[in-house]
Amino acid sequence: MRWMGIDVTVTDTGRRRFLGGLIAVGVAPGVTWADAGSPAFLSAAAQPDGRFVLCGIGRELDIRFTLSLPARGHAAAAHPLRPEAVAFARRPGTFALVIDCVLGTQMAVLEAPEGRHFYGHGVFSSDGRYLFTTENDYEAGRGRIGVWDAGHGYRRIADWDSGGIGPHDIALLPGSDTLVVANGGIDTHPDTGRTKLNIATMAPNLAYVQDGVVVETAALPAHLHKNSIRHLSVGHDGHVAFGIQWQGDGPAPVLAGAHRMGQTPRLMTAPEAAMRDMQGYVGSIALSSNGRTISVTSPRGGVLQHYDVATAELLASLAMPDVSGVAVMGGALAVSAGTGALHLIGADGTARERQTRLQWDNHLVAVGTTSA
Amino acid sequence: MRHICLTLALVAAPVVALADTRDDKIESIVAGHILPRFEALADGADALSVAAQQDCDPASAPLKAAYGTAFDAWISASHLRFGPTEVDDRAFALAFWPDSRGATPRALNALLADQDPIAASAQGYAQVSIAARGFYALEFLLFDDALSAESDARYHCQLVRTISADIAATSRSIQDDWTASYATVMLTPAPDGVYRSDAEVLQEMFKALSTGLQFTSESRLGRPLGTFDRPRPARAEARRSGRSAAHVALSLRSLRDLAARLAEGDMSNRLDARFDHALSLLAALDDPTFATVAAPQTRLKIEIIQQSVDAIRAAVRDDLGPTLGVAAGFNALDGD
Repeated sequence: MRWMGIDVTVTDTGRRRFLGGLIAVGVAPGVTWADAGSPAFLSAAAQPDGRFVLCGIGRELDIRFTLSLPARGHAAAAHPLRPEAVAFARRPGTFALVIDCVLGTQMAVLEAPEGRHFYGHGVFSSDGRYLFTTENDYEAGRGRIGVWDAGHGYRRIADWDSGGIGPHDIALLPGSDTLVVANGGIDTHPDTGRTKLNIATMAPNLAYVQDGVVVETAALPAHLHKNSIRHLSVGHDGHVAFGIQWQGDGPAPVLAGAHRMGQTPRLMTAPEAAMRDMQGYVGSIALSSNGRTISVTSPRGGVLQHYDVATAELLASLAMPDVSGVAVMGGALAVSAGTGALHLIGADGTARERQTRLQWDNHLVAVGTTSA
Repeated sequence: MRHICLTLALVAAPVVALADTRDDKIESIVAGHILPRFEALADGADALSVAAQQDCDPASAPLKAAYGTAFDAWISASHLRFGPTEVDDRAFALAFWPDSRGATPRALNALLADQDPIAASAQGYAQVSIAARGFYALEFLLFDDALSAESDARYHCQLVRTISADIAATSRSIQDDWTASYATVMLTPAPDGVYRSDAEVLQEMFKALSTGLQFTSESRLGRPLGTFDRPRPARAEARRSGRSAAHVALSLRSLRDLAARLAEGDMSNRLDARFDHALSLLAALDDPTFATVAAPQTRLKIEIIQQSVDAIRAAVRDDLGPTLGVAAGFNALDGD
């Protein structure tokens, strides 16, 4: 048995030593997120000294742990049971680190296979046995989903079609192992950084994947084909809220929507001035726990917007410089910004703020849910 | 922890104190930078179409010269990707590159194999795959060893004439929209207009500058560079016509002009010096198609040129951006 590069032979005495080792690295049954300080969220960040870290953030917006990363992170994936986090390098990174959040040690390194890079997002299966990562097969220009065995040292065990080009965010539908993937539609190649190679012909979609089979894709109307679907938030009832980045000229026609399998996507609308304030760009999205509100952030516009899912109309638009991460916590909404600000907005509209010295990166990832 | 009320300030467009020369800058850029470039493109493309009508032989010197002049004009305008160039994907219809999957030769080979009658007119041709249109498709027909020596000379000739006429029509449409309306749109921002303020107009121009620099660094230089272990000289832009390095120079000269009109005082001089540095490194290279990216010595020179362009990008982002009210936050700049 091979674990973290150390060959372990399981014998009677060896087994005890092995289990002891497992407890030490925090993977034995019984070690939970509580042992890591019960963070409510994970977020990558940059420290004032320029070093990059992954942080656990508590319900009171307090920082529960800070772990070093070798380079700038993007999103993370939290194991549903064990205090393990997968921190992804920013696109087009080729590695992801599995971190023991109790000990702060590196448990495994996920390396993208030859010809692949990660997009910065991943999600665990509901039982925590598997990790799914969005990847670019960049010579073929096709999106892939990497499947890793979280119970066996994060061995790579399979590799599926994502149902489109440029898969970005990936999430799990509740009570199932159906994956939903935001295929942003944009073809890139690491030789040319993030240069977009196919804007004229891009065709984003939402793809639903069960056991490696794309069972449904949902696309926006043809005239919106330059709307890159990037980020996801899944509700308890299976609704999928999606955030968009507009690649066309002029103001974006729409930047968020909601979809449910078997139905047509519904698009959130806003008065033109409010839409323009978003600068065509949604950085993160969160669907409230009661499913009634979609919140989206635009770091470019420095704006947080809330939409009413029932009417598909804008509810409120708030200025927050360099805002990006957004995630739900019970009835409340947590928001992070590159300025170091953390906000917690309650269902009753009250808000709390904590200013930190960290630059919070792109996404807040809730711990204890299966969506990333 | 501090409790604050949710009635945070309602969003207002970012207002940035700018010198009162904002109007002058916009007028200088529209009249002195943008309009002359699209006029040169429309005129050059017309001349290309006329030359193709007169002689469609890939070996024709006048045709190749006209192609070069028109393509130069496009490269010098290719960073101005907003408004008229984006209507009906006109810019892509002129310039489908990078073509990472080889869609252009594939589409042209299919047309030639089928003798597809859609190539009979420019109007009809506007319906074909965008990869088979524009300067890069025409380059295959005029300069590619296989596609320029296509056996059926008559159909090949028709394709050259039609693509040239299509380029001319597209370029003229862009030019017409600029003179008929879009110049006014940029000069007279209004609350219900495409641009709500002078600041938004300048931000659009800034974006053209920064994305133009990014494209030259990442695509024009980055594609042939590939990686140290796997250099990709065959990916150099327009290498068949020997134009790869010339495109870098054309784009840098054009972007230098735009930067000089956006920046002020010392910053303008500093940016100008950076452009001069990059252009002089390029002039000293003497490798028109970046064919030597695989040789360590020359590769290093091309990497240094790319670094010099990236240094301009950093200066534009860090020094010029803030003066124009462009958000420079940790996440705003990351974009993913």
